[in-house]
Amino acid sequence: MALVEARQLTKVFRRPDKPPGLAGALRHLATRRYVEKVAVDHVDLSIEAGEAVAYVGPNGAGKSTTVKLLSGILQPTSGEVRIGGLVPQDDRMAVAHRIGVLFGQRTQLWWDLPVADSLAVLRDLYGVDEGTYRKRLKRFDEVLGLDDLMAVTGRKLSLGQRMRADLAAALVHGPEVVYLDEPTIGLDLSVKDRVREFFRELRDEGTTVMLTSHDLADIEGFCRRLVIIDEGRIVFDGDLEAVKDEFARDRILHVHTETRVDPDRVRAVLPGAVVAAGESPLWHSIRFDRFAITAGQAVAAVTGIAAVVDFRIDEPGIEDVIRRVYSGELRLAAETDAETDSEPDVEGSGEPDAVVTAP
Amino acid sequence: MRGYRALARISAKNALTYRLEFAFALFGVLFQFVALLAVWRVLLADSTTGTGFTWPQMRGYLLVAFASGAVVGLFADFRMSFRIRSGLVALDLIKPVRYQEARFAEVLGGVWIEVLVVLLVGGVTVLVAGAPTWPGGAELALFTASMVLLIPLKFLVVYLCGLASFWTQNYVGVQWARIAIVNLFSGALVPLAYLPGWLASVAAWSPFAGMTSTPGLILIGRATGAQAAFLVAVQLGWVVVLWFGAKLLWRTAVRQLTVNGG
Repeated sequence: MALVEARQLTKVFRRPDKPPGLAGALRHLATRRYVEKVAVDHVDLSIEAGEAVAYVGPNGAGKSTTVKLLSGILQPTSGEVRIGGLVPQDDRMAVAHRIGVLFGQRTQLWWDLPVADSLAVLRDLYGVDEGTYRKRLKRFDEVLGLDDLMAVTGRKLSLGQRMRADLAAALVHGPEVVYLDEPTIGLDLSVKDRVREFFRELRDEGTTVMLTSHDLADIEGFCRRLVIIDEGRIVFDGDLEAVKDEFARDRILHVHTETRVDPDRVRAVLPGAVVAAGESPLWHSIRFDRFAITAGQAVAAVTGIAAVVDFRIDEPGIEDVIRRVYSGELRLAAETDAETDSEPDVEGSGEPDAVVTAP
Repeated sequence: MRGYRALARISAKNALTYRLEFAFALFGVLFQFVALLAVWRVLLADSTTGTGFTWPQMRGYLLVAFASGAVVGLFADFRMSFRIRSGLVALDLIKPVRYQEARFAEVLGGVWIEVLVVLLVGGVTVLVAGAPTWPGGAELALFTASMVLLIPLKFLVVYLCGLASFWTQNYVGVQWARIAIVNLFSGALVPLAYLPGWLASVAAWSPFAGMTSTPGLILIGRATGAQAAFLVAVQLGWVVVLWFGAKLLWRTAVRQLTVNGG
């Protein structure tokens, strides 16, 4: 059994349907109407120990709700969650020791206490012995630069400082499973880099991580598995690299030549490539399939026509793929996979069976 | 246990950090105490009924009412209610401590400063008005037990009202209702003996009686021997019933929690 298991997990929220204005409010008093919103819709998910899973989706897709269901905060409307075989909603105490949760938008530090005291309280809550605690703090300090924050009270921390301290707070008990819900929201680049470095260390130590983020740079280079949720349903669950190979094949070579180049001559030597004028007459952009043409071939093709002064290559990003999924332009056919096959391919053989059905 | 102790330590410390807010909150209770003393002094001077309290008795009784109003943080419920309504309760739910026990530990941590204030006000009252007649032996033990039980009892009443925040956004309304009901049914404003018969018996059997009437009557010697022991037993019974009742309510409450946004 996988470490984290969700079976047909569903959460339906009910909110009052109040028409606008005073008349609407009065009407609601007389006849109460509610609108049901399915936030998480029959989600099947299983995460093996040691996996790093990216859980992405547009705003309101149900990401945070899933995390709250998986950590036992919310009660599922139907379906169930198991963490190491335990139901977090029923075995709160036991599960609490095994999971760590970071909500980027909420802090678990005590407002009135210095960070050091907050962490010490958590140490006592989780019953971490002093030696282990010291060792962990030392590590947090190395990557997150905690020492400078230790004497600062929760309310006085800047957002970046708060997030670093909150990360330590979420991990002080050495949880097996960590849910990171938008952990880099609002952070500047240098802090983001440190935090991402820290995530990689976590993963390398064997911690199971589920990362929710809008910033896809958090995901690349960290998660091997990608799960995309949209309107409460999992629309894709598979290998991140494979998605990139399948849907983000194109590289773009931007090349600066000494003399003008006729685009047709480049097209002639690079069949299939799309050649466009660049930012100046001496620059060209050549878009090519990285599996059909190597970067070396592309550069060589131009060199054969004119002397190359400078060039750079844009690598494909997962952003493009996910942006296209969000906009509905791309439908990843793994959807059917997620519905029928309840055991996702966790061995990472990397074939997401994804098919484009372009509009 | 270590976790609960840590929580208690935080509120023990917070009591000092927020001493000014704390002082203001207690001022209200203190003012009520002084006002009631003045009112009852006038009322008792005019009264000739045999069943009424004597002035020294009423003084002692109102001091108990003051203690009851002062203990068990006036912050405890506001903080809990705020965390529930804002969704911060999500973070309490993933801690390896039981919710109710954790909140109780926090309340116990802050009790020391409240007890100090009660002792101070009691001391001043004695200096100004003379020492009360203390009950003897068994009654003194029962009075002490009743005062100790007052703490979990009041915590439970406050905690149960705090749980209402799972259903309503208007905690202030709930709190006002609670204070009004407790003031009436505990005998904190008017000793139960002065209420109409039927209301007095309802109040005497309610959990609120343990929040002033029971320790008050034992202190001033109007409940003695077996009757005093019985009142304390009822008080203890309510603590047990409310403790487990609150646990049941918590289970229902947490099942319909919604936390919106990140």
